[in-house]
Amino acid sequence: MLKSRRAGRGLGRAAWPSAALFAVPLAFLALFFYYPLLSMLAGGLSDSGGRFSLSRVLAILRDPYYLRIIGFTFEQAFLSTLLSLALGLPGAYLLARYEFAGKRVVRALSTVPFVLPSIILVLGFVRFFGNNGTLNRLLMGLLRLREPPLRVLYSFWAILLAHAFYNFPVAMRIVSALWARLPPTLEEAARSLGAHGPRLFLRVTLPQLAPGVLASAALIYIFCFLSFAVVLVLGGGPRFTTLEVEIYRLAKVGLDLPAASALALIGALLSLLALFAYLRLQARAAFAEELELAPAGRRLTELLRRPLGFLVPLYLAFLVLVVAAPILTVVGYSLQGRAGWSVGGFSLAWYRRLLDPGEVHLRAIRNSLSFAALTVALSVPLGTALAYLGSRRRTAGSSVLEPLLMLPLGVSTIILGLGYLRAYRVLPWLGAALGPLSGSGGWPAVVLAHTVIAYPFVVRAVSPVLRKIKPSLPEAARSLGAGSWQLFLRLELPLLKSALLTGAAFAFGISVGEINATLMLATPELTTMPIAVYRLIGSYNFVGASAMGTLLMLLCFLAFLAIDRMGREL
Amino acid sequence: MSLRLQRVEKRYPEFTIRLDLTVAPGELLTLLGPSGCGKTTSLRLVAGFISPDRGRIWIDGRPVDREPAHRRQVGIVFQDYALFPNLNVLDNVRFGPQVQGWPAAEARRRAEELLERVHLAGYGPRRVDTLSGGEKQRVALARALAPRPRLLLLDEPLAALDAKLRQSLRREIHSLQHDFRITTVYVTHDQEEALALSDRIAVMRAGRIEQVGSPEEVYARPRNLFVAGFLGRANLVPCTLGGREGGFLSLQTALGRLQAPAPDGRLPSGIRRWVLVFRPEACRLGGRSGNRFRGRVVRREYQGSQVELEIEAQGVRLAVTVPEQHGQEAANLRSGSPLSFSVDPARCWLIPESGAKSFSSPGS
Repeated sequence: MLKSRRAGRGLGRAAWPSAALFAVPLAFLALFFYYPLLSMLAGGLSDSGGRFSLSRVLAILRDPYYLRIIGFTFEQAFLSTLLSLALGLPGAYLLARYEFAGKRVVRALSTVPFVLPSIILVLGFVRFFGNNGTLNRLLMGLLRLREPPLRVLYSFWAILLAHAFYNFPVAMRIVSALWARLPPTLEEAARSLGAHGPRLFLRVTLPQLAPGVLASAALIYIFCFLSFAVVLVLGGGPRFTTLEVEIYRLAKVGLDLPAASALALIGALLSLLALFAYLRLQARAAFAEELELAPAGRRLTELLRRPLGFLVPLYLAFLVLVVAAPILTVVGYSLQGRAGWSVGGFSLAWYRRLLDPGEVHLRAIRNSLSFAALTVALSVPLGTALAYLGSRRRTAGSSVLEPLLMLPLGVSTIILGLGYLRAYRVLPWLGAALGPLSGSGGWPAVVLAHTVIAYPFVVRAVSPVLRKIKPSLPEAARSLGAGSWQLFLRLELPLLKSALLTGAAFAFGISVGEINATLMLATPELTTMPIAVYRLIGSYNFVGASAMGTLLMLLCFLAFLAIDRMGREL
Repeated sequence: MSLRLQRVEKRYPEFTIRLDLTVAPGELLTLLGPSGCGKTTSLRLVAGFISPDRGRIWIDGRPVDREPAHRRQVGIVFQDYALFPNLNVLDNVRFGPQVQGWPAAEARRRAEELLERVHLAGYGPRRVDTLSGGEKQRVALARALAPRPRLLLLDEPLAALDAKLRQSLRREIHSLQHDFRITTVYVTHDQEEALALSDRIAVMRAGRIEQVGSPEEVYARPRNLFVAGFLGRANLVPCTLGGREGGFLSLQTALGRLQAPAPDGRLPSGIRRWVLVFRPEACRLGGRSGNRFRGRVVRREYQGSQVELEIEAQGVRLAVTVPEQHGQEAANLRSGSPLSFSVDPARCWLIPESGAKSFSSPGS
């Protein structure tokens, strides 16, 4: 009854007997996220003697080469975001307001980019849009051309298109969830008051959607700002280089860690601004991100009868194609007979080579699977504990806490990897425990980095469910005699089960597909599946890359199935 | 098992809850008050979900302040049922016995026995989200009673149900409470519920208990204007006291000279301004004896079992209810019709005008 009732809310003091339960995850974050990050930032802010100095940062800000890179990073992120919104928003409207056959397919497809490794998208793009790719060969065959008509690859357009294709589902999901939730009575009231058409949309609907549109834009902007593999491969050269790629080059190719740190410092500041914008907007919109299928109502056929209605099926078909084409191209190509440019018949030769115990590739598969398993084992408890911490609203600092916990979403994985590299130098014992110095090829560092990258997704899966548990439920259990552990095992764990599985599936998918931090941290001998794909692309062995990519997709597909199934139960 | 709240205090920014209250073994005591008056918080103090800033809570003669909620053996039923969605009906009911370590067979027997008692035999395997609101609340009752709690706390258990269901479930709660002879604290803002169920009612306002007593006492002899106004409807006529007149005090009011019994049978002194209070149902149309009123009808409302009239007399608004069987007399009345009615002085009483403030000490 009282407003202050919240004071005793949730799990209460008795439920979690010790702060130690939270101390461990917070210490983990401090050691494996904040410490490397800060030490990297400190590196950017010091001169060669180790004293505090802005000289490195200023040098970068005065250098036209770096300024062009920074400018280009902004430009491509901005344009990619616009393109993604343009592609995704009509879909958001259709999903929110109409019933149609295949709606489930469109909705399911919108989960794909969340689990499709970027290197696969790149590979699919190369094979589909490339000069010798499916699309060009199709057009050459149809139009009887001697030269490939489309030259998309290794250009600004390639980057924009890949980003848009990758990110339009983000806009579609977030906005359509919000749109479906707008009470129809709102529009009906406006209609009865005389508003209709564009006026109705602009004055009634759009103001309600705006936070969702802006939040998804901010999120897409972050993704594109931090995009690595797409720019690295599809940009194809110094002309189209972003901050991330340049940091990677400085650190791994130029071996100039201080300069990389200074550049990373600038990049981190810029991307964090977007992250804070996103978190603020998301809080304002207060929407859950699961997509609701139920209340749509109108049938799509109504829309088809309008003028320009024929555009709707074209658009939907285009969306399906956009997501499916790169995937199908990769799968199809992996079954080709010979490597190289020429095309052979059907063959499983490359799959046999991948699974041959004598080959390096099998080790990559084994590495990926063990890293993913370890990442799941670490990130699920970590994310769950942090979700609990975030759900205790009475902590005065919770508004500060949430951005701090979700920070890894906005810090690039390249920068994270760089931070680890620096941390080895500053704290040798940490380096000895984690990385290349110990002769382990850096795998502990890779697993820790994957965990840091993956746990925010566990938090995002668990938090909404945790918030949905009415405070009276744990109270009822306690009044019936359940102590902390019984409360957790008999009530909270079963209620969180599907959320935990969703989080685990995300963590698995992310770890298996992660390439940025892995490239930074792993020694050349230590390969994972995405790195193997990257190296095979680099040596123009597209059939081998496709076969490895198909196996990788298969793993991600399993994760995707789990998320899709669980998502509906939430 | 008895419950005692000894000078319990809980401070909030809005106000402070102060409770001093004893509930006898087997008694059903209702905390009645408007929403936000601190009833639910009081219940949560007893359950152990929050702890008081000051004072002690005793159950069965032993202080429980240091016992966490799960050791207090206090059953609680929530307004939103709070059934565990991951468990079926039977598992919900035997949750308490199970976590308290009863032997499995005994826990099951107890759960089945209780389900039968709340007329849900055979519902055991059902999922809780397939139940109706009334069924859910009966499961919640069975669940709270299953581990044989020392106390039963009910937090607005009927508020989410529709009127008909509320009445039948109210009877069921009454009979369960009676059969199990369990000491019960019942929180509600619904006066009808409180009057029908309670052994005693504690009327609360802004964190304090304004009056405690049997339903008849609280209804017929409210101590102050708040209690008079919160329980049922009351007509209020400001007055000053004259001398004794037969067995009654004579009063000066804007409506002429009226009579009422002296509070506590004595001639009060010291307080100048009083309010004469009587219930609308104490009024009779016409009548030649007792306190007589003349006025005009302002509003007439047919309510089925009775007709309710709003009368204006010398600037004072009065409510009069006429039972349906006398409805003929009221049938011809329109807005503006003149009307006279009377009230037996024995059914009137006096409250100091500033009474609301002078009754801060709970009288139990």
